[in-house]
Amino acid sequence: MKYLPFVLKHLRRNWVRTSSTVVAMAVCIFLLCTLRSVLAEVDGMLAASQANRLVTRHAVSLTFALPMAYEARLQSIPGVKRVAKTAWFGGSLPAKKEGAADGTGDAEASTTDWSNFFNNMAVDVETYFAMYPEMVIPPDQWKAFLETRSGCVIGSKLAKKFNWKVGDKFFLESFIPPYRRRSGPFEFVVTGIYDADLTKYPGTDVNSMFFHYEYLKEGVAPRDVGVGTFAVEIENGDDAGKMTKAIDALFENSSAATLTETEQAFKAGFIAMAGNLALLLNGIGLAVAFTILLVTANTMSMAVRERRTEIGVLKTLGFSSAHVMGFVVGEALVLGVLGGALGVFGSQGLLYGVSHSPGVSDILAGIGLSGLELKPDVALLGFFVAVILGLFAGLVPALSAYRAKITDILRTV
Amino acid sequence: MTTMVSVKSVTKIYRRGSEEIKVLDSLSLDVPEGEFVALMGPSGSGKTTLLNLIAGIDQPTSGDVVVGGKNIAVLSEGDLAKWRSHSVGFIFQFYNLIPVLSAVENVELPLLLTRLSKKERRERALTALKVVGLADRSSHYPRQLSGGQEQRVAIARAIVTDPQVLVADEPTGDLDAKSAEEILKLMESLNRDFKKTIVMVTHDPRAADRAHVQRHLEKGVLELR
Repeated sequence: MKYLPFVLKHLRRNWVRTSSTVVAMAVCIFLLCTLRSVLAEVDGMLAASQANRLVTRHAVSLTFALPMAYEARLQSIPGVKRVAKTAWFGGSLPAKKEGAADGTGDAEASTTDWSNFFNNMAVDVETYFAMYPEMVIPPDQWKAFLETRSGCVIGSKLAKKFNWKVGDKFFLESFIPPYRRRSGPFEFVVTGIYDADLTKYPGTDVNSMFFHYEYLKEGVAPRDVGVGTFAVEIENGDDAGKMTKAIDALFENSSAATLTETEQAFKAGFIAMAGNLALLLNGIGLAVAFTILLVTANTMSMAVRERRTEIGVLKTLGFSSAHVMGFVVGEALVLGVLGGALGVFGSQGLLYGVSHSPGVSDILAGIGLSGLELKPDVALLGFFVAVILGLFAGLVPALSAYRAKITDILRTV
Repeated sequence: MTTMVSVKSVTKIYRRGSEEIKVLDSLSLDVPEGEFVALMGPSGSGKTTLLNLIAGIDQPTSGDVVVGGKNIAVLSEGDLAKWRSHSVGFIFQFYNLIPVLSAVENVELPLLLTRLSKKERRERALTALKVVGLADRSSHYPRQLSGGQEQRVAIARAIVTDPQVLVADEPTGDLDAKSAEEILKLMESLNRDFKKTIVMVTHDPRAADRAHVQRHLEKGVLELR
């Protein structure tokens, strides 16, 4: 520790260079932590998927609906246990919450409040929740949900966010044209709040809302809304590959061919609509880390080259080669620690800001990324990478300082 | 009088590619304790090499270098560094102070290798600065000092561990006449009052005149004059 002030004094020698190196390192760690947090959240979401749950959608695109008649045909396939219709409603709280729903207002004029967007889905309630035992609803609330056509269940996190309680009413208006009705937004009553054991089922989404598919269907009648996706539960998760093929083969020559995937593949595909997310994010992280390694190594090399005479003097005074090497590595480590700390705090700040800013957090929640935060293991990883980067960056110049001979240095003074 | 430095039949050969350059050729030199010796000679005569061998920053190709009764020619690099930290003080021509450290921090630097507490280190460094007459400049940085003052700080750094031997490589070579005179007076005082054995390389006859003994080197061999 007695050498630390000496190391720090050297870092202050060229503060512009030192601070720019620290900032470069911080940017690297900031990106690494932020990207890893996004990936961790996506992984968590995918981990909540189960092998015996499949999703059948239109082969062309998610935006095309499937005929309702497919439900019975799916149910008839051997190995299929349950089938539930689902529709991603895409509803958000209207800026004008009251008035339009009862037909007294101008529904077309009501505007959408995107700042509070959350995931909401119309489902065949009984079969859908039977497929998802991880979502737990108290029996009395479940009973009320089944009996109330405009009823909905909301995740515990969502309830906390809006301070909604059982019995509260709110309006949602979809941005998807077939799900909008002339009379105005749909009115919902909270009949239940579901929760999940996140230790047993990590990644379970408790930030969504589910309501009766029939309510949606009746609301937009006489328009036929079709089915967004079918949730299919199969008897044996090991047969998932065989079953997806069997389902798609059944509808191969029909007007609406299907694409059936495991729930995990479906979610991954949904996330990956922007490309191969994991490859992209990891690629960016690696490229930035490697660049910063070169930048820091160059900075350290310059710093050591400038101080060649001092290295000779230190050795003359009795400092061993290991001491001198330690000083150089120490400086590089301090750069790493400072950059790492700054990057981790920056990432924490951004993720906190994103997850607490009304507009962005709600959009993220809408695609299932409601728990975006800097987790301790990601922060530790970022800090560790910064220290390792600092260590590696300092290693070559430190070895050069270690090997430098006093007589060679002093001869060139 | 006991011998402080004894160089015995030392040969030093440098290799530049396949070429061998013999810088010192079976050179022997004895410096008694408390002596002030000036080494003179033309460039390339081997005087700095001899000084480096006595200071333990280089090792002979053959022969022995005994300083304070210890044969430093056989020490490993690590042991040699440890020996240098407490047995010899080095004064450079260009002072070689660390620019980011204040005068007192520069002087304190060799004491980082001791077991002294922070307070003790600071006290000793201030005492050394007092000896060289710069106690009032302890917090000044090298850029805030004149050449003569910088060299005095460098001398304080050389004596702070209380070594037996001081070696100086042209200590007045970068100074004006007045500053050079002050430095030489200081070195005389260290030799006279603190009984330091001093070996000084110089080109300057006036500096050499301040030493008790002058030895001349010519092509790696000590001349008898």
